[in-house]
Amino acid sequence: MATILIVEDEKPINELIRRSLQTVGHRCVSVYDGQAAVDELAQNKYDLLLLDIMLPKMGGYEVFERIRGIPTIILTARDGLSDRVKGLTMGADDYITKPFEMLELLARVDAVLRRTRRERTGESFELDGMRIDFGSRQIYCDQQPIEYTPREFELLETLVRNRNIALSREKLLELAWGYDYEGDTRTVDVHIQRLRKKFGLEDRIKTVYKLGYRLEV
Amino acid sequence: MRARTFLVTLTLFLLFFNLSIFLFSAITLKTNLDGSRERSLGEHYFIASTYGKDLYALESRGTIADAALGSLFQSYSAYYGKQGVALELSEEGRILYTSLPKGDRRSGHSQAAIPGERTVTTTKLDGRTYVSVIGNLPAPYETYTLTYLYDVSGYLSAWSRMTGMLFLLGIVLCTLLAVCLHFVLGRVFKPLRQISEASKCIAQGEYGNRIGATRHDELSEMADSFNHMAEEIQKQIGQLKLAAEQKQRFIDNFAHELRTPLTSIYGYAEYIQKVELTDEDKLAATDYIMSESRRLQNLAYQLLELATLGRSDIRREPVEIKELFRKTEETLKLKLEDCKVRLTWKCRLDAVDGDRDLLESLVVNLADNAVKACPPGGLVLLEAYMESERPVILVTDDGKGMTDEQLGRVTEAFYRVDQARSRAGGGAGLGLALCEQIAASHGAKLSFSSQIGRGTISKITFTTS
Repeated sequence: MATILIVEDEKPINELIRRSLQTVGHRCVSVYDGQAAVDELAQNKYDLLLLDIMLPKMGGYEVFERIRGIPTIILTARDGLSDRVKGLTMGADDYITKPFEMLELLARVDAVLRRTRRERTGESFELDGMRIDFGSRQIYCDQQPIEYTPREFELLETLVRNRNIALSREKLLELAWGYDYEGDTRTVDVHIQRLRKKFGLEDRIKTVYKLGYRLEV
Repeated sequence: MRARTFLVTLTLFLLFFNLSIFLFSAITLKTNLDGSRERSLGEHYFIASTYGKDLYALESRGTIADAALGSLFQSYSAYYGKQGVALELSEEGRILYTSLPKGDRRSGHSQAAIPGERTVTTTKLDGRTYVSVIGNLPAPYETYTLTYLYDVSGYLSAWSRMTGMLFLLGIVLCTLLAVCLHFVLGRVFKPLRQISEASKCIAQGEYGNRIGATRHDELSEMADSFNHMAEEIQKQIGQLKLAAEQKQRFIDNFAHELRTPLTSIYGYAEYIQKVELTDEDKLAATDYIMSESRRLQNLAYQLLELATLGRSDIRREPVEIKELFRKTEETLKLKLEDCKVRLTWKCRLDAVDGDRDLLESLVVNLADNAVKACPPGGLVLLEAYMESERPVILVTDDGKGMTDEQLGRVTEAFYRVDQARSRAGGGAGLGLALCEQIAASHGAKLSFSSQIGRGTISKITFTTS
């Protein structure tokens, strides 16, 4: 989906971010210090930069000053107000503090990508003859457009954007229905059944024991 | 305080001033009156005797006694009248002649004199005061009594005018005194007021406040000691602030140190839970969870050590330096081979007093840092010798060195000169903080000097052998 450069000196965290982003289909490159990040950005084109602030050789803010123009999410363990304000006033697109949850990271990455790529032609997702056009909100099965309710589209989009990751029923309610929806988690089960039937995703949308559902690609 | 001093001083002054005026006028009055009495007495004697002689002379010349008495009295009274003196002549209580002014004249009787004696009294006659001397004429005219009346009312009224003037002057002077006293007291109490204002300021947190003292007296001494106190307070507050800042930084850093491994642990656990993984991926993820947990454990252990070191007393026994250096080399053997760094030692000292394990940990830590700073082929030198009667242990490397700013913060907990490398090695950034604690618990001083590109020298100076 997107090419992302991860700049983080802690190897475990760097790898964790890389693995998480790769799971939902992004292409990732990891570097471990500020100088390497600047060098890498000079050679290749990236859609998004995940940038730690405390870096050896060259600090995160300095890297950011040099590479202006690439959408950036700042990662840091410091969540003091002044740090956050500094990052955002410098022009960073978002700010994530450690420790973070995988879904939060993915959601923010998605949000920044959607915002910064708006003018481009709508992205799409294809799976087993089903094609989703996110730009025009159309779903085709074997080239035939299919009727669906807005809720079904939201749910399918949530599953696609967090594919290969198990989502609890509560999380699905929160992401597809919104925070203020006060419904039964069984509503999710009903809608999942409908999605499976309508789009032929019986083998793709797996029920994860005691956890929820996962779209496996 | 000021008002009280003012009132007390003023009251005391008024009291003594008025008392002295009063005493002064009373004494003057008495002395003057006594003088007049003496004089009157003398005059009376003189008049009485000449009067007697003249009477005798006139009588012997044949003048009738009564006529002579009258004409003599006339001439005497005319003469003395000019001096403010009135005369009175009586016979057995009956006034024969008098030169008193008409308003003052007494009725026909006068006091009879005691034979052979003269009495002095002060009499008041119709608003006028006289000193009167009563006595008989000398023989053979002892039946006649001559009364000498000296008018002192003029003097008395002058006296009372003067006293009045004095009291008036007193009031004017008192007013002047009150004004002067007000200003003088204001000046005297100025340092006190300054002190009280300055203490108020200090109480409100402006610790830089001082009192300017220009004079040299008790009050300026007091101001001096006040300034001294303020300085001490400022110093102590500064130290407290510094300590609080250090503590705050420690907590900030500590939170950061906790968050980093926690992010990994939580993240990989979530990753295992939510993503379908191959066995290989699972192993990698659990590996990370375990190593990051170990890191937390390390951190907890070192923090605990740091905390207990500050509190407990240490054992003291002679520790052989050669043995200490040998063990250090042994501990670092693997690392030395990995980094291709050589370690040598020069020992010109037998032993120092201290805890064997702690000293070993101290030297190993310093040597370990030295090795980390060295490029491949570098050299780390351990030395021990006496420097002005004090044992010194020196760890020298020819590595990359540090800037002054880094040097200043190097013993701060969680501070890392080279972040990436130290963390990769599992360090928590507490090594030198621990070293400093160990040195302090031995009564030793840990100091560093460094030059960029030339290397770093760590020096432990013991205070006692």
